[in-house]
Amino acid sequence: MPIVEKSLVEVDRKEHLEVEGIDVSGDWNTFLRSRVQTDLDVRVVDWVKGQPQGETISRCWQCGTCTAGCCMHTDYGLTDFNPRYFIYLAQVGYEEELRRYASTIWRCVSCNKCVERCPKGVKVEEVVHTIGTYLTLTGAAAESPADRFDRAYTENLLARGVLDEAALFRTYERLEGRKTPAKKLLSMGLSLLRTGRLHTGPLAHRTRGWRRMRTVLEAQLAEDERRRKGALAPATPAAGGNR
Amino acid sequence: MNPVLVLGGGPAGLSAAAELAALGAPTLLVERESYLGGNPQRWHYSLLAPDLRPAQEVMGPLLSRVENHPSIERRLSTSVVRAELRPKGYQVVLKTQDSTETRDVSAVVLATGFDHFDSRRKYEYGYGRYPDVLDFKEVEQMLHEDRVVRPSDGKPPRRIAWILCVGSRDVQVGNPWCCRMGCVVSIKQAVEVRQRHPEIDAYVYYMDIRTYGLWEDLYWKSMQEYGVKFVRGRIGAVTLAEGGSRLIATGEDTILSRPTEVPFDMIVLASGMEPGTGTKEAATLFGVPVGPEGFLTPRVSDLNPVDSGLPGLFFAGAATGPKAIPDAVTEGMGAALRAFQYARL
Repeated sequence: MPIVEKSLVEVDRKEHLEVEGIDVSGDWNTFLRSRVQTDLDVRVVDWVKGQPQGETISRCWQCGTCTAGCCMHTDYGLTDFNPRYFIYLAQVGYEEELRRYASTIWRCVSCNKCVERCPKGVKVEEVVHTIGTYLTLTGAAAESPADRFDRAYTENLLARGVLDEAALFRTYERLEGRKTPAKKLLSMGLSLLRTGRLHTGPLAHRTRGWRRMRTVLEAQLAEDERRRKGALAPATPAAGGNR
Repeated sequence: MNPVLVLGGGPAGLSAAAELAALGAPTLLVERESYLGGNPQRWHYSLLAPDLRPAQEVMGPLLSRVENHPSIERRLSTSVVRAELRPKGYQVVLKTQDSTETRDVSAVVLATGFDHFDSRRKYEYGYGRYPDVLDFKEVEQMLHEDRVVRPSDGKPPRRIAWILCVGSRDVQVGNPWCCRMGCVVSIKQAVEVRQRHPEIDAYVYYMDIRTYGLWEDLYWKSMQEYGVKFVRGRIGAVTLAEGGSRLIATGEDTILSRPTEVPFDMIVLASGMEPGTGTKEAATLFGVPVGPEGFLTPRVSDLNPVDSGLPGLFFAGAATGPKAIPDAVTEGMGAALRAFQYARL
C-alpha cells in the first residue's frame, strides 16, 4: 500500500460511466502514484525568521491549537486554511507544497485568536502573513485584492499623513477595474458629506509638517523593501521538490 | 566489619563507593573494565544534557573522590564469578585474567549499568555498512574531539538527520521501553553541532519528543535559538544515494502525509539503553528478579528504588532501568546508605 496524499483520495470520486449500456459508475481513478518528497529547503524558514514579524516561527511544535480555533474554520468553513500546516511546510522546507496555498494563505482576517492561544508564544497571525509575503515576493502568489487595497491605502496615507477616503475609494476602484454606478456613488457621497465624514479635495485634512515626515517614512519603506527582497535567493525549481 | 562490595564503576557505583567511604565503611569497588567511569568514560561523552556541561566536569570529581580514598579498595579488570548468601552478607569469588580470590563482604551494591543498543541490529538503517550512519557513541566522541566530518570522506556534512528511538520502543528488537535519554541527547548533539557549525542543517525525525521535566527547556532552545528542525515520522530505511555518497532516509512525513526520500550527508541513530552485560550476569549470580525488560527489579520501586528485597543487596543506577547521570548518582547515595545500615547491624 503506497502512502498517498489524503487530499487526493478523499475527494468524492463517484463518476458516472456507462459502457455499452452497462452502468459502471463508481470510484474511478483511485490508482494514484504516491508523490515522494525528495528534498528539504531551509531558505523559506531562514527568510521568514529573518523578518521582524516572522521571528517566532521556529517555536512551533505542531500542536494544532491555532488551527483548532481559527475562525477560517469555525466561522467561514475554509478547511484549506490551516496555519499549523503552513508553518510546518515553511519550517521543514517543503516549499513546493507550500506554493499550493499561495492564495489561500491570504484569507486570514487577523482575529488573532491563534496568537492568544498558542502555548509556545508563536505570533501565528504575523508568521502566516510573513510566509504569504515570501510567496508573493518569490512570485508564487499573485497579488490579491487585499494586497492592492493595502498598496492603495499606504500611498493614500503617505500623500498627506491622513486618510482621504474618497481618493482611496477611487484608486482602489481603478486598481480593481471596477466602477460603481454614478447614482450610487452620488448618494453615498452625499450621506457621507452630511454626516461630516467626507474629507476630500478642498475639504481634505492636512497634517502639519507632513512633508518632512513623509521623506523619513518613504526612506524607511524603501529600506524595508530592499531588505525583504535582498534576502531572497533566486528560486531553483529543484529546491524542496518532489517527484 | 567486612567491606561493602560495590559492583560496577560507573556514575552510580562511583557515587555509592564514595558515600560508603565517607560513612566510614571499608569499600570494595569491582569493575570489569580496566578503567573507572563506566559508559561516559568508555565512549568519551562530550557535553551532558541538559546543561551542556562537559562530561569531564561531572566525571572528574566523581572519579577523584574514589581514586584518592584510602578505605576504597579498587579492583579493575575484575569480575565476580560466584556469590553465596551468608548469614551476614555474601561470600563472593573475584576473578581476574590470571587469579581468583574469595572474599567475604557485608553487603552488596549492584551498579552494573546499561549497554548502548547495538545499532547493527536495526539492519535497515545500515549502521556498520554505511560509514556515514553513526550512533550516539561515535557522535559523542566526534563532538568531544571537535571534529564533525563524514567518516567516509572526511568532508564536513551539510545536512545531518537524527533518528530517534533506535532500539527503543520497538518490539522487533524486543525493546518496548523508552530509553529516556534519546530525545534529549539527540537534541543536545544537534545543538552542539549548530553551535559550532551553524552552516550545517540539523533535522530530528521523531514520533514523540520526550524531554521530560525541566529538560523541555533544551528542546525549546534547540528550536528557537539553534534552528534545529523537527520532522514527525519514523525513518523506515536508510539507503545509499545512486552514484553518490549521500544517504537517503526513507520515511513518511506523517504531518505532510507523504512519503519522503530525503538525502543527508550524515545520519545519527539515537541508540537506546539496554540492561548491561554485567547487569544480566549479576541478576543470575545474585538471584535477583528481573522484569520483562531484563532490568533488575526493586521490591517496591515506588517506596524504595534501591532495595532489592533480598538481604544485603541493593541497586543503583541504570541496572534498574534507563537513567540519567544525576539520577544514577543520587541512587548511588541511597544505596550506600541502605547498604551501610545493613552492614552495621
